[in-house]
Amino acid sequence: MTDVFAEAPAQSRKPTIFFDGVSSRKRQVMLTLADGLEIVEEDGAHVRWAYANIRRADSPAGVLRLASTSAPPLARLEIRDAALAADVTARCMRLDEHQTSRRGIAKIVGWSVAAAVSIVCVVLFGVPLAADRLAPLVPKPVERRIGDAAEVQMKAIFGRGVCEDPAGKAAFTRLVNRLRDAAGLDDDSMTAGVLPTAVPNAFALPGGKVFVLKGLLDKAESPDELAGILAHELGHLKHHDNMRGLLYNGGTSFLIGLLFGDVTGSSAVIFASRSLVEASYSREAEAAADTFAIEIMHALGRSPKPAAELMFRITGKEGGSTLTTILASHPLTEDRLKRMSREDRPASGPPLLTDKEWRALKGICGSGKV
Amino acid sequence: MQWVPIGSEPLPPPLPPTRVDFTGNRSEFRKLVTKGAMLELITFGFYRFWLVTDIRRHLWSNTAIDGDAAEYTGRARELLFGFLVALAILVPIYVVYFLVGIEFERWKGFASTPLFVSFYAFGQFAIYRARRYRLTRTVWRGVRFWMDGSGWAYSSRAMAWGLLMFLTLGLALPWREASLERYKMQHTHFGDLQGDFDGDGWEFFKRGWWLWLLTPLALLFFPAAPFLYAEFKAREWRWWLNGIRIGDVGLSSDLPHHAFYGLYWKVIGWWLLLTIIYGAYLGAAIAITVKLDLAPSAQGAAPGVNIPMLVVTVIGYFALALGANIVMRVYLQRDLWAKVLETVEVHNIGAAADVRGSGQLASALGEGFADGLDVAGF
Repeated sequence: MTDVFAEAPAQSRKPTIFFDGVSSRKRQVMLTLADGLEIVEEDGAHVRWAYANIRRADSPAGVLRLASTSAPPLARLEIRDAALAADVTARCMRLDEHQTSRRGIAKIVGWSVAAAVSIVCVVLFGVPLAADRLAPLVPKPVERRIGDAAEVQMKAIFGRGVCEDPAGKAAFTRLVNRLRDAAGLDDDSMTAGVLPTAVPNAFALPGGKVFVLKGLLDKAESPDELAGILAHELGHLKHHDNMRGLLYNGGTSFLIGLLFGDVTGSSAVIFASRSLVEASYSREAEAAADTFAIEIMHALGRSPKPAAELMFRITGKEGGSTLTTILASHPLTEDRLKRMSREDRPASGPPLLTDKEWRALKGICGSGKV
Repeated sequence: MQWVPIGSEPLPPPLPPTRVDFTGNRSEFRKLVTKGAMLELITFGFYRFWLVTDIRRHLWSNTAIDGDAAEYTGRARELLFGFLVALAILVPIYVVYFLVGIEFERWKGFASTPLFVSFYAFGQFAIYRARRYRLTRTVWRGVRFWMDGSGWAYSSRAMAWGLLMFLTLGLALPWREASLERYKMQHTHFGDLQGDFDGDGWEFFKRGWWLWLLTPLALLFFPAAPFLYAEFKAREWRWWLNGIRIGDVGLSSDLPHHAFYGLYWKVIGWWLLLTIIYGAYLGAAIAITVKLDLAPSAQGAAPGVNIPMLVVTVIGYFALALGANIVMRVYLQRDLWAKVLETVEVHNIGAAADVRGSGQLASALGEGFADGLDVAGF
């Protein structure tokens, strides 16, 4: 090491700067490369860093910036002379030990892929299974509370209250009760109503709520058409589809959000991947509700076909584009019509409503326009 | 070398202002973010902690004030840990939010909307805490920056000003920024020097009030929006930089009002290009699917998801996000940073020549919302 000592006087001219990590004072120092790195200030103050403790710190190009594990954490030595920097680098064997290496990156990649695969598996298999098992176990009061909240929201959207014409209401109740009995729904707190809006649709809410929108009622030409649709909604209630959907949606967006680092699950990626996964799930639920509707209508001795015809009148032909086929949440109407037509049987039971009741039902919202 | 030997003797006051130099190599940065974005893609985003850290390390260590480069000492592991802790805290909060929301909805439709406000408050808290984390990892001349003050106090100020902004249709913005910035800067320290913010809302208002008047116009006429936003950002940056004080050290900037036009238009151009490519790619994928008849059979009542199409769409989407990310980071982080810094002058840097280090690292949980949501005290 004697030759190194011989070089030492020459190094004093080289711009080497030392910050002691205690104050921001800029100290011009001389380096001596002995058994350790000797840092000597102009006034003779003296620090020694062992080579094994020296680590590289971030620096701009052309500057070698060093720290030492045994010095104050922010103490820095800045060598701006390339030759001297190379000299020091050669002696510090553990200079880059703390940096993320290729192996470190491979580890990050490996573990993230493992995490992603397990999350995807849970989304595809675990969540549907859990939703199926848990939905029937949700206590009725809880389900009803959620349903109440949704009902208030729906009424806020569609405006005003439920249609109240007494004769119409009696007819509607009779129709719903017949379907309910046939469906074997023991939910005595079941509520059903007609909402005064021109949108042609019907929906079921958690806690045994079924709503028909006035628009659908206007388009219906016979009690059987309406009954088929109602039976389909009762199917959703029977299968706890709302709660299943809620658990499934919540679980899926939470897990996918976990993956992309957004717990609220509101970003576009999450929305996109979720809607693809969920569309198929809800199509299964819709198909199951259709099956249920077919069974009930048969049990009542009526044909399920009119309901599908009503749907077809409302939606028209839907298929054609591949994208809509992939994204649709309901089975395509023409497929449903085909299916229900196959199940068409001549009526063997009594009509569900008399003509008089049917007329009363049509007028349940009064004659006023909506 | 503009290094000045500094002893204990007082310096003569009229020292020429020093500049801030940015020495980062652009293609090196581009390689860094490209590689980072790819790794982000194959790790489903987990690499983001490492990428963000690498970006900051690059920007910090290439920024030299008075000839000495800064350093970022934060590490990705800390961010990952903070994220996990934040998850542990946020998940129960979301559950409570959900349950309370249901009760509100039962009472009145959409009555739970104001609950969103609580998330805004939480977000402001997070902003303050994240700033504290970044600052305590910022080192210059062997001394770190640090912050005190309370995230919740900041959040409540931000909320009150937010309400005022809402009531005045945004006109209160300059005063809001001045007030919040003052809070942040007065709780910012470099060693034993305390920060301050010298800008006032009125001045900012005078510089940008006409932008407020033009905003509705920009909403109607889309191509005007980037210009307007660029004008606003440039004025905001300049006003902000001119107000910053650390001890007796002050900053000034003569950032021109049109400084960001080019940057924003380049970003928009790239985004348009990427979107068109993605559209063409999707179109081709659909055409091929239809041609090969891979579409799900329309027979079964419950056709399964079209798996190949789904995979193709998702891969394309990720590639799009990757490209957009690279563009955004190169132009809006690196180029903007360089552009702003080249206009900055530092006055009276001698006041920071012998500062004693102090202040603790913000808890290792850092950017997560840990240390007991400020309840534990600090």
